[in-house]
Amino acid sequence: MGPLIVNEIISPNTNLLIAMLIGIGFGFVLESSGFSSSRKLAGMFYGYDTTVLKVFFTAAITAMIGMLFFSLFGWIDLSYVYVNPTYLTSAMVGGAVMGAGFIIGGFCPGTAFCALSIGKLDALAFIGGLVLGIIFFTEGYPMWEDLYKANFMGTPTMNELLDIPRGIFALGLILAAFAMFWVGEWAEKKFPREEY
Amino acid sequence: MKMRLILASVFIPLGIIIAAVPENTTKPFRLTAGELLNEIHEGTQFISTDQIADMLVQKDPSLQLIDVRTQAEFEKYSLPGSVNIPLSDLLSEEWNDFLDQGVKMNVFYSNGNLKANEAWMITRQLGFKNNYVLQGGLNYWAETILNPQAPKSVLADDEIAKYDFRKGASAALGGGNAVVSNSNESNTAKPPIVKKKKKKKVAGGC
Repeated sequence: MGPLIVNEIISPNTNLLIAMLIGIGFGFVLESSGFSSSRKLAGMFYGYDTTVLKVFFTAAITAMIGMLFFSLFGWIDLSYVYVNPTYLTSAMVGGAVMGAGFIIGGFCPGTAFCALSIGKLDALAFIGGLVLGIIFFTEGYPMWEDLYKANFMGTPTMNELLDIPRGIFALGLILAAFAMFWVGEWAEKKFPREEY
Repeated sequence: MKMRLILASVFIPLGIIIAAVPENTTKPFRLTAGELLNEIHEGTQFISTDQIADMLVQKDPSLQLIDVRTQAEFEKYSLPGSVNIPLSDLLSEEWNDFLDQGVKMNVFYSNGNLKANEAWMITRQLGFKNNYVLQGGLNYWAETILNPQAPKSVLADDEIAKYDFRKGASAALGGGNAVVSNSNESNTAKPPIVKKKKKKKVAGGC
């Protein structure tokens, strides 16, 4: 049955419409979880607030369990689901750049737009930096093309790399998520901050 | 604290279930026996020799003829642009991209209907689309396209028009002097097949 667009159950335009509705919902949930506060986001790094970890990891394991059960019931063919190609070097370099920007700016790209929508000027400045970064990257692309395309690994998934069954990996990830939630809440007690 | 316990009591059992069950690798689209019987009964898989001749003359790029006879028979005579997938090799991995695709119109043919229809039934049961059967096979092809018989002059105009078309197609497709070998043209390399997986949009980050 699924994915709906690959099996031509819905048209690409319907897909865009659904994407817009999901996007609005996503932004709403981001804002209502307090993700438009840059202090909350930076708190992930300093340890006084680990909401980011909890929200995104919960989202990830919910989606993972959902997809695996959909596949089990034959509602979706997971081989048609897009998997991002892995360029290991650029993933690491990009991860470091993104992480540094996250701590310095206090937003990630999605939450910056979320914060801008409720009128935060620091988010506007952050988006300005984001646009500059995009221009810098695209205009200078020939300079980093080699780095960008280094260590191409195809589209592996974690369980394929580790060579364990998909379900076992899923269970492991769920247990890891709960362990991280526990560590996160321990960190919140260990590095409390009165007001932020 | 309480929230985490609730979440844990939902997610961990689900995780254990998903770890315990085998991965579902079945293709979702398969026909039931009843649906297949219905399709056979209606005969929607058959493509007429005239239609194939027309597509061949016009060099329709969407047509992919597939010869399901043995290799020896294929080398002796085959239709232009066809590939040879002997019935016994039908399920080999090598041909999967040919048979399971959404771009070209595959037409199976053999000497008669039988082998081609068997190939069609197998691929149809696997859920592959765009596979058809040349009605009557090569025997009927030779009878209608290569050596068309002139209709009686009392017949309707469209019969005569059909004969004229067949005569033209026969000349274009090397007919007239019965079954000649034109294998030097037909043994071309496999045409590239675009895989069925359609392009997908890159998913965004956070």
